[in-house]
Amino acid sequence: MAVKQMQYIIIGASAAGMAAAEAIRRLDSEGSVTVLSDEQDMPYFRPMLPFIVSGKKKFPEMMLIGQGPYRGANIDVRINSRVEAVNTADQKVSIKSGEELPYDKLLIATGSVPNIPSDIAGVEAEGVFVLRTIADACAMAHRAETARHAVMLGGGLLNLKAAFALLERGMDVTLIVKSPEVLSKLMEPDDTVLIRNALNKAGLKLVTGSSVTRILSDSSGVIGVLLDSGREIPCQMVCIGKGIRANVEFLDKSGILVNQGVVVDKFTRSNIQNVFAAGDVAVTLDPIAGERIVTGLWTNAAEMGSCAGRNMAGQPGIYSGTFGILNAAQVADEPFVSMGIVHTKGTAYEIHITATPETYRKLVFTPDGTRLVGALFIGDISKAGLYRYIIREMMPIKDIKSEIVNHRLHYGHFLR
Amino acid sequence: MSQPKEIFVRLDRCVGCHTCKIACSVEHSRSKNLFQAISEQPAPKNRVYVEWAPPDRKVPILCRHCEDAPCMHACISGAISRTEEGVVITNSDKCIGCWTCVMVCPYGVIGRHMETRKAYRCDRCPDLQVPACVDACPTQALVYRTVAAFSGDVRQDAAREMISGKGS
Repeated sequence: MAVKQMQYIIIGASAAGMAAAEAIRRLDSEGSVTVLSDEQDMPYFRPMLPFIVSGKKKFPEMMLIGQGPYRGANIDVRINSRVEAVNTADQKVSIKSGEELPYDKLLIATGSVPNIPSDIAGVEAEGVFVLRTIADACAMAHRAETARHAVMLGGGLLNLKAAFALLERGMDVTLIVKSPEVLSKLMEPDDTVLIRNALNKAGLKLVTGSSVTRILSDSSGVIGVLLDSGREIPCQMVCIGKGIRANVEFLDKSGILVNQGVVVDKFTRSNIQNVFAAGDVAVTLDPIAGERIVTGLWTNAAEMGSCAGRNMAGQPGIYSGTFGILNAAQVADEPFVSMGIVHTKGTAYEIHITATPETYRKLVFTPDGTRLVGALFIGDISKAGLYRYIIREMMPIKDIKSEIVNHRLHYGHFLR
Repeated sequence: MSQPKEIFVRLDRCVGCHTCKIACSVEHSRSKNLFQAISEQPAPKNRVYVEWAPPDRKVPILCRHCEDAPCMHACISGAISRTEEGVVITNSDKCIGCWTCVMVCPYGVIGRHMETRKAYRCDRCPDLQVPACVDACPTQALVYRTVAAFSGDVRQDAAREMISGKGS
C-alpha cells in the first residue's frame, strides 16, 4: 500500500518557518512543503535589515534561499499569501485570496509584530517607522535621503542597530530611553560603561529616563517629538523600537491555545493535534531562569524551527528551550555577548566582575557558587560558546571555576 | 563516492610544540612564507590552538566541522555553509561581524579579525592536499584520514594491545 503523501503547511517564511521546511525536506522527500508568507518578497535574513537602512547592502545580498543551510530545494514558498484563518476541525488554512489549503501537519511560524505603545500620540504621521520588514527598511532608507535628524524611541539592540545605520548615513541621531541606560534587557546600568562610551564616540545622542508623549507633524510628515519633560526635539523621522508581541491575531477562532504566544509542549506541539508552533510566535521555556518566555531572536527561532520540522516529519525530538537572553552583537567598536541570567541587582547570585579600560566580564553563579547561570562579556568575547555550553548543560564546574572566572577556559578543560 | 577526510587529534601524541599553529598561520598568510608572514599586517592568524590542561595534557583544538553545525544554523546573515567535502566554511563577504557564531560554538574555535570585523575558522586548507597543521605535526598527533580509516586504526591498536596483554 502506498504511503499517503504528507502535506505540510508552514505559515511564515522567516527563520523558524524556513528552518522547519529544510528539516522536513531532509527527512521526507515525498511530502509537499508549502510555506506561506504575507510579505511581498522572497525570504531574507531579517537581522540584516539595518544594512538596507544604511545603504551598505542591497536586497539581493540578504536573500535566504541558497545561503547557509537554506537550500530551498522542492520547497514551495508563496509570497503575498497572508493566512486569514486556521480551521483546525477540517485541517485547512484560508489565505487572503480566498483560497483554502488542506494540511496534514501545520506549523505556525508567524513571528512577531512590533509593539507600538498606545500612550504615544501621533504615531500615524509620515516618517514614523518600525523596523520589521524589508518594506519598512526601504521606506526608512528613502526617508533618510532627505531627513537630517532622526529620533529613536527605545534602547534595545534592534533600535541601536537602526540608530547606527542612520549614523552611518551621516544623520544626527538621538536615542530616547525610559530606562536609565541602553540595552536594559541585556545588561544592568552599571555594566554599560564601555557600551555607553562607544555610543558617545560614535556620535549618538542619548536621552535617558525620558519618554516621548507625542510625535509632532505637519504636511511634510514628522517635524519633532515632545518628551514627558516638556522638551521638544526637532526631527524629520522617528523609529519606534519598543519590543515585540507574538503575531497571533489570525488564530482567534482556531481553538489554538494562545497565552502571550502559541503555547507548545516540549515537542513544539500546540494543544490541537497536528498543529505545531516555533519561533517568536511560540511561548518557550527558559530552563535556566525557569520561566516561560517569548524570545525575539533569529538564532533561537532557527533552532526551534528545525526541531519543529523534525517533529512534524515524524522524528520526535525535544526542544529544550533557550535562554531568555542570548545575544551577541557589536555596537560601534564594542563587541559583546550577553547570555543567561545577567540581572543580579537585589539577588543572592554569586557574581564575579572583572573590568579593565577595554574589557568587562561579569559571571553569574548560583548563590551557592556551584553552577554558572549567566555571563556578560564586553570587549573580549572570545570562546563565549564554551560558557554558553556550561550554562545550558548545567555542568558541574568545581574543577574549572577559577578558569571560568579568570577567562582561561578552553575546550581542553571539558575533556576527562 | 569516496569518503571525505577529516583532521583527527591523537591527544596521547601531542607534546605541545605548537608547530601546527605556526604552519597554520603561514598557510593563511598572504606570502605563505614564514619569514615574510611574521611582518605582515594584519598579522596572519592561526585557526588551530594548542591548550594546556591539568595535570599535564596538551590539547590541540580546531573546528570539528560539526555534522549539525550550531554556527551554521545560528548565523544571522547566511555566511556559514557546508561544502560538498563536508567542510563548514565562513564566507567573509557575507559575514557581518555579529559574532553569533562565537557565542554558539561549543569548542571555542571561531576567531575574529578585528580589523575587518570578520569571523574566521579552520578551512582545512582548500589549496593543499594535506592541511598545513597535519603536514607540520612532528609526532603525528594530527592525522588526516577518513572516519572509516581512522576508526579502523583505533581498532587495530586496541587489538594489538589486547594480544600483547596490556589491555584488560
